[in-house]
Amino acid sequence: MWAKLALNRLIVSLAVLLTLVAAAGAAFIWSGLYNVAASRDHFSVTTWILEKVLEQSVATQSAFIETPPLDDPDLVRLGAAHYEGGCVPCHSRPGEPINVIVSQMLPSPPHLADVAAGQPPEELYWIVKHGLKYTGMPAWPAPIRDDEVWALTAFLMELAGGEMDNYRQLAGLDRVPSGALAGTEPTHQTEAVTLTQCIRCHDDAAVSTISTLVPQLGGQSIEYLERALKEYAARVRPSGIMQPVATHLDDREIAKFADYYASLDVQPGQHVIDPARIARGRALATEGDPKNAIPRCLACHSRSRAAEFPALAGQHADYLAGQLRVWQSGGRNRTAYGQIMASIARRLTDEQMLDVAAYFASLPPEAYRNDAASASPGSE
Amino acid sequence: MWNRSLQIFATLPILLIAAGCVDVQSALNPAGGEAERIHTLSWILIIFCSVVFLGVAIATMIALFGSHRWRQRLAGERLVIGAGLIFPAAALSALLGYSVMIMGMAGSAEGQDGLRISVVGERWWWRVIYTARDGRRIESANELRVPIDQPVHVELTSADVIHSFWVPKLAGKLDMIPGRTNTLTLNVRGPGISRGQCAEYCGGAHALMSFFVIAMPPADFEAWLVRESQPAAVPADEAEIQGHALFVRSGCGACHTVRGTNASGTIAPDLTHVGNRHSLAAATLPNNAEAFARWISDNQHIKPENMMPPYEIYTERELAQLSAYLESLR
Ligand code: HEC
Ligand code: HEC
Ligand code: HEC
Ligand code: HEC
Ligand SMILES: [Cu+2]
Repeated sequence: MWAKLALNRLIVSLAVLLTLVAAAGAAFIWSGLYNVAASRDHFSVTTWILEKVLEQSVATQSAFIETPPLDDPDLVRLGAAHYEGGCVPCHSRPGEPINVIVSQMLPSPPHLADVAAGQPPEELYWIVKHGLKYTGMPAWPAPIRDDEVWALTAFLMELAGGEMDNYRQLAGLDRVPSGALAGTEPTHQTEAVTLTQCIRCHDDAAVSTISTLVPQLGGQSIEYLERALKEYAARVRPSGIMQPVATHLDDREIAKFADYYASLDVQPGQHVIDPARIARGRALATEGDPKNAIPRCLACHSRSRAAEFPALAGQHADYLAGQLRVWQSGGRNRTAYGQIMASIARRLTDEQMLDVAAYFASLPPEAYRNDAASASPGSE
Repeated sequence: MWNRSLQIFATLPILLIAAGCVDVQSALNPAGGEAERIHTLSWILIIFCSVVFLGVAIATMIALFGSHRWRQRLAGERLVIGAGLIFPAAALSALLGYSVMIMGMAGSAEGQDGLRISVVGERWWWRVIYTARDGRRIESANELRVPIDQPVHVELTSADVIHSFWVPKLAGKLDMIPGRTNTLTLNVRGPGISRGQCAEYCGGAHALMSFFVIAMPPADFEAWLVRESQPAAVPADEAEIQGHALFVRSGCGACHTVRGTNASGTIAPDLTHVGNRHSLAAATLPNNAEAFARWISDNQHIKPENMMPPYEIYTERELAQLSAYLESLR
């Protein structure tokens, strides 16, 4: 009897207390007394809690990620080239101070050389891919493109390795002519808009691309180049590297770039040495693999192809195999043209992708140049 | 509860009648040797079973409600031995013998000579191979043409998984097994169309893997086979010429063959005379210009998971040109 009464009392007082706390909380929120100014730092205890939560969260979330080999110089250069356009605005170039405006963010973006040194690659990868809530660190624009995020991770690991005195070279800045020549070509732009300096990454009449993971554009048809850029801009072709570039361009500029690259001669592709691989690739490209429902690639990628279909001859093997892997992991299939290739790419084995990529890379670029205009009945 | 079961029972006969109405694919309406025998056998079995069932029902009634005298008779040893042991043994043995005899007649009775046609099950269509008079191998798809009133041996095999070839109007079903050839003998009485379908689940688009068997008088068949062996028609008017150019540029020949052109793909139906076929895409669509256009641009919705990529890249005009070209392949 007595016990029951005491219990009732306890419950009532607890309820009253909870209501009071909730009311106080509501009053605090509505009053606007909490100061959200970035100009005032958090209390040190808040900072400690926030940092601890972040640290633990990143560690837990990245626990099961497996790191692929990251010491490929082409991967590092692709990472560096994108870092220049996509991350430098906040994190700055190695050795340069953080932009004054950006440094007033709370928290402000750190110099990544120091950070990366103490962090395992899985954690860097996870942060670059997912971003960090409430900090201003953005997520990767194309979540399906893990391969691109690993390129950034490879660059950050290189950065962590110590003094980086070849950054300008890695990021392709030295490929942009300075002085009298600066800004004469549309692909150079000015150093201020590094994002749209195509030459930092792509080919021109004199040099090939900065990395074998970046496609050569010379000699592709106008139709294909325009379509590719529009698909990036419309975010239907996933690439965290090209989407930001393409959204910068208007239709007139897209037409101008397409014209420029279509008229350019192709540089020789990546040198592949394995003759057995090339031979297997040639068989697949010319005859297909009917047992596994794989058609011959040349039916769609030779001279007789539609102007909207890409040329593969002379393209880098790493890029070609990389795109086939993108299709296999479910990317690049949201466009009408992408769907056609998607159903074929899905049927290839890993070895077949490497073989056929090696074969196309080994061809002289003039092989299978497009001549859609001359397609007539019975010709191929 | 009872009401529902009653309703279901009430609709059963209607369903059976309706199934009979679907004339092109009904075992109740046989048009070929084996199917006729199966049909007769089924009726004999049905009638026999019905008579036995009736007898048992009457016996049960007597046991429950009959007069004492009748119940005595029912319990008599004579009846138990006669109707309970001898009759079933004799009747079932006779029926077994009869059905073994009837089913054994498939193939053997009609000998080994006569026309041979190969049918290969593919995911999810049928590759059909005829042998022309000059010995050439003539490929077609999704449709079997046969002469009437003579045995036609259909050699069945599969390129990938197990399929099953079943034309209820013409014969029983026979599995198509990779690496093995099963032979089914058709003997179709009278010209006409029968529908068949894959009767063994084979993945994705299995439900839309059907075909037609078109039986024609021997002379017509010969004439048809001669035409079927010819290379494809040369595009004649402007739309067909443009359509052919699109066909080449879009790489359709990577998978399809059109004899007489450079299109020599072997992983999809031969299109040399596709305009002449009764249906498209393994009896999924009718064969007309609109169906060609729909198939090319939207095939993954029409027949989900089939092995042809959808081409959503064409304008209306281009689709019309492609369809005109394909229709001209007669
Ligand atoms: C809009 C500005 C902004 C951009 C652009 C940006 N970051 Fe950040 N980044 C931040 C902020 C802010 C933080 C959070 C710092 C903190 O939590 O202390 C951060 C944190 C990070 C961290 C984790 C550092 C740590 O403390 O562990 C990494 C790694 C990183 N960024 C990499 C990148 C990369 C790579 C890019 C380019 C793809 C990039 N960031 C682009 C603002 C940016
Ligand atoms: C930071 C390096 C970088 C810069 C700068 C850059 N690109 Fe790219 N570009 C790439 C990469 C990497 C790809 C491959 C993306 C993918 O996987 O889809 C690519 C792909 C392309 C493609 C598609 C090629 C194909 O074969 O499908 C076109 C077209 C293109 N870029 C044009 C441009 C133009 C025009 C500019 C300048 C306005 C430019 N890019 C600037 C790295 C860059
Ligand atoms: C039926 C036509 C067809 C066949 C056959 C075909 N492709 Fe393609 N392929 C395409 C189309 C269309 C595209 C353009 C896709 C896009 O823009 O998204 C493409 C694009 C590609 C690309 C991307 C090129 C770039 O610059 O980004 C690669 C790599 C490729 N194909 C490899 C192959 C290989 C290897 C084979 C043979 C196994 C093959 N293709 C067979 C139609 C075909
Ligand atoms: C990657 C291979 C591939 C390519 C490329 C391809 N097809 Fe097909 N096509 C198929 C397959 C497989 C089928 C059978 C689909 C089914 O019924 O399951 C088919 C079926 C068809 C049919 C129906 C044939 C019949 O017997 O009923 C037509 C018509 C057709 N394709 C036209 C085209 C045209 C036109 C193109 C080019 C624009 C094309 N195909 C490109 C693989 C391909
Ligand atoms: Cu099936």
